Amino acid sequence: MNPQLAEVVEAAPGKLAAVQSLEELDRVEAELLGRRSVLAQLQKAIGSLPPEERPALGRDLQQARATLVELVETRRRALEREIADRVATADRVDVTLDAFRLPLGSRHLIYQTIEEVCEIFVSLGYVVAEGPEAEIAWYNFDALNTPPTHPARAETDTLYIDFGDPATEPLLRTHTSPMQIRWMEAHRPPVAVVVPGKVYRADTIDASHLPVFHQVEGLMVGEDVRFSDLKGTLAHFARSFFGPQTQVRFRPSFFPFTEPSAELDVSCFACRGGEPGCRVCGGEGWLELLGCGMVDPNVFDAVGYDPKSVTGFAFGMGVERLAMVRHSIDDIRLFVDNDLRFLRQFP
Amino acid sequence: MRVSLRWLGDFLELPTTDPGEIARALTGLGLKVESIEHLEARWAAVVTAKVVSAEPHPHADRLRVCRVDMGSEVLEVVCGAWNFEAGATVAFAPPGARLADGTVLEVRRIRGVESNGMICSERELGLSDDHEGILVLPDEIVPGRPLEEVVELPDVVFELEVTANRPDAMSMIGVARELAAYYRIPYRWPEDDYPAIPGAPTTKVEIADPAGCYRFTLREIRNVRVGPSPLWMRRRLQAAGVRPINNVVDVTNYVMIELGHPLHAFDADRLEGDLLVVRRAEDGETLVTLDGVTRRLSAEDVVICDRTGPVSLAGTMGGESTEVGDQTTRVLLEAASWDPPSIMWMSRRHGLRSEASARFERGVDPNLPPRASARAALLIHRLAGGDVLEGLIDEVAVPFAPRRVDLPLSEVERLLGPGFDQGRVVEVLTSLDLEVEGSDPLTVVVPTFRPDLSRPVDLVEEVARLVGYDSFPETLPRGPGGGWNRRQKARRRLVETLAGLGLNQALPLPFVTPEDLQVFDHPADDVIRVTNPLREEESILRPSLLPGLLKSLRRNVARGVSPVGLFEVGRVFIRESSPDDPRIPNQPERLGWALVGSFGPADLAGRSREVDVYTSTGILRVVVHALGGRVALQPDHRPGFHPGRTARVTDPEGQVLGWVGELHPLLVDRYELDGRVAIAELDLDRLLDLPRATTAQPVSALPAGGVRPGFHRSRGAAGFPARRLSGRRRIRPGRGRLRLRRVPGPGHRHPQLGDPPHLEGSRPDPGR
Ligand SMILES: [Zn+2]
Repeated sequence: MNPQLAEVVEAAPGKLAAVQSLEELDRVEAELLGRRSVLAQLQKAIGSLPPEERPALGRDLQQARATLVELVETRRRALEREIADRVATADRVDVTLDAFRLPLGSRHLIYQTIEEVCEIFVSLGYVVAEGPEAEIAWYNFDALNTPPTHPARAETDTLYIDFGDPATEPLLRTHTSPMQIRWMEAHRPPVAVVVPGKVYRADTIDASHLPVFHQVEGLMVGEDVRFSDLKGTLAHFARSFFGPQTQVRFRPSFFPFTEPSAELDVSCFACRGGEPGCRVCGGEGWLELLGCGMVDPNVFDAVGYDPKSVTGFAFGMGVERLAMVRHSIDDIRLFVDNDLRFLRQFP
Repeated sequence: MRVSLRWLGDFLELPTTDPGEIARALTGLGLKVESIEHLEARWAAVVTAKVVSAEPHPHADRLRVCRVDMGSEVLEVVCGAWNFEAGATVAFAPPGARLADGTVLEVRRIRGVESNGMICSERELGLSDDHEGILVLPDEIVPGRPLEEVVELPDVVFELEVTANRPDAMSMIGVARELAAYYRIPYRWPEDDYPAIPGAPTTKVEIADPAGCYRFTLREIRNVRVGPSPLWMRRRLQAAGVRPINNVVDVTNYVMIELGHPLHAFDADRLEGDLLVVRRAEDGETLVTLDGVTRRLSAEDVVICDRTGPVSLAGTMGGESTEVGDQTTRVLLEAASWDPPSIMWMSRRHGLRSEASARFERGVDPNLPPRASARAALLIHRLAGGDVLEGLIDEVAVPFAPRRVDLPLSEVERLLGPGFDQGRVVEVLTSLDLEVEGSDPLTVVVPTFRPDLSRPVDLVEEVARLVGYDSFPETLPRGPGGGWNRRQKARRRLVETLAGLGLNQALPLPFVTPEDLQVFDHPADDVIRVTNPLREEESILRPSLLPGLLKSLRRNVARGVSPVGLFEVGRVFIRESSPDDPRIPNQPERLGWALVGSFGPADLAGRSREVDVYTSTGILRVVVHALGGRVALQPDHRPGFHPGRTARVTDPEGQVLGWVGELHPLLVDRYELDGRVAIAELDLDRLLDLPRATTAQPVSALPAGGVRPGFHRSRGAAGFPARRLSGRRRIRPGRGRLRLRRVPGPGHRHPQLGDPPHLEGSRPDPGR
């Protein structure tokens, strides 16, 4: 390489390294590549060289220019970054401050729980249906094999209302089961439906009672639905809701609208089976989860299904209870109190 | 039902004594064990002993010096009680023994005589509060036995939850029968063979109300000596949760627990006339029951009457005037069978839930009275020394015979699955004392103690119960599908949008008060009322979501929690027929919200905008946008709303969705709030049904809202070279000056007249 060029290229990195501003860089760039640079002078002088030397110098010039441009641009990128960093650093704030505080909204825990329960059944091919809260006795009791003499129909248990024909015993539904009847009246089997909603009881408000709470009802009817289907479905639900390690226990029970009837208990998820004084299960090791059973033939008769050709199972669970058990809530009144400090704990 | 394990030993020999395992068996049978209680003796080293002699104390008039044989040795002890003589069997605490209160006995000198321990009263042993005298035990008890053995301690008590369909399980014999079936072992009935003397009750019985009384038996026992029951019976009754009273009453309670049949004993000499009539009461008649309460009777009450009128509330509680007391010598023992619903309604009407009514309302075996009466007669004879008259009055108004139920084996497999052959089904049913005849279908003879078994499906349940619910496999069937419908999904999106905006979903009770109606100018007769409310606060079904939201707002503010923004999605109740079913009221779902204080993003100082009507319209805009519809607003008046700051919300067809705005200042005051309160109430069906754009609109080339998006003008952190952001950088040697370059963005063109303005809400739904 031309010695003059070689000197310039060799000296360039040092010069550029000393540059601390973009203005200075422009100056050094002009010095290296501008009109009065060594390169420019050699370029001008190229015509005065003997023809056989021109190509060599031409190549050298091209190479040197490329090298110098790259060096300058590299330095420029570095400088730009340094400058931007310096400026941006001066723009520093305390990022932990709340200077754009958006209000924190929440969905009610009961609605979240209902959605989660229904979702488990939706994934098993169920449809979600809702029904009226103000009902008549036919749907709430009679069609569900609960005769007029049944104690649940007493005014001490059921809230009655002053609408319509008193002979129909208009009332506030005491469970979501009336929707079993309405659904079967409107649909032919096979049926798989879950019904979330509010239910009403003549209960005095205390830490474990409200006159209004929520249930999720379920019903599956088909030609070949058996007791093992009831067990499998609800065990699947319990494990989905409380975790795969959950143990289930079905024990015989009694409901007018199912036969055989059962209650489903799940192993306490807090102590995993009977720690004395466990605050969730009280040391019993089991938590009562829901009532269920095979649909009573009288219920099928009431909706015009043939009990000889179809079978089915039904279940019902209290949503507040599910939420209380799972989240260690010991006072049911918190659900209707609507204190923001409670609501926001479960966004 | 409280079941003592020791008492259960009268009826069967269980293969295990492990309370946990027995509890599992009971729970698996459907008799859920609510708790297991361990009863322990509260003393230590107290033994039975015979008093050999009782001599006056040489230095004290009120004391005696007794020589007591405790089997291994004879000790001398000073005693202050006088209710026994030499020869009595007593509970003796020798030196080193411990009493219920923790006292450990030592050798002491009492008035100069050495006393080696103590002859104990019931109170010192923690058996009762009785400290009148020492505990005298039956003579046949040999000295030297630990006292625990005499009173059956330690014991285990299972608290069972018995379902309403199982009257038979409300008894020791019924629980024994279940366990016998479970373990496939025999069980036995208690003795009821009493020695009788000739004669029959002079009192006759007339059942004037066969709808209320199926059967009435009466037995007479003479020369009864009323006194306290022996210790073993009192201990068993206490374990069962029944307070001992006297030997006659205790026997009736004991037999009720043992056999499940409640009995009633009358003092025969306190009854007037020689005829007992079972009839409905007359309105206005009164009866003072055993608990001392004067009951005003109604025509639905079933009563037992003597010549003077009602003397007992049938199957529920006896009358005070004919109660068996210390003076009673002649007892009339009633064992009757009652109509379950009559007893249930009667006990509810009078707020009187007794052990007897709890059994009768489930349905006691109508063929049990003679047996229960005989068992009680035997026990009264033994404990109170009575002479039982041979004759039994037995009036049967409604006879009951065992029921015959045909059970096709296919019905078992249809519900329970394969694996139930005839042998297995027959074995299960016979283990429950059901008789089985024939083959497929089986004819099952159901005794009258199981009124719950009347159909094939009831017998299928018995099979499932006895083979154990645990023994069935788990299978997971799939439904035909359907999931959430469009409306439910849209509602979920609505709730999520409102929560995302920072509002909190509330769930007030769906009732309003008369005051709520009054301040909202809602006609008091245009609501649906609960006819039997427990409290006035829960007597009117809400016609609007707003009162509940406002009261929730107030509660928060009163607790210093503010700002508050609440919303609710729920039903209201309108006094008109439902469009789906004319028999029930219209109960549409609504969306409501209420906010107070400042709401929206807050700056470093915590400042944000105070809520007002624009808060409501702003929220509405986002909600409608999220649902992909369009609405229009018009100024309007609405009760409860601010007259100058309220808008009616309509859909494109002009249908009213509801109102948004502010709460009327007067109501702000009434609900004890401050400042402005933003509120809204909208019909959910119309809101979720808003028509949505389904076809994409071309996106305007016009820079939206005057901003020219095509220009990549630096709007990042100050000082950043803009060409960094353009993505189109070219190196220009020799041009060292940084410059902001304006680079047209893709698709840029100059605005032209006729370009549509960018419209909120016209965006197509991105495929939900
Ligand atoms: Zn636990």
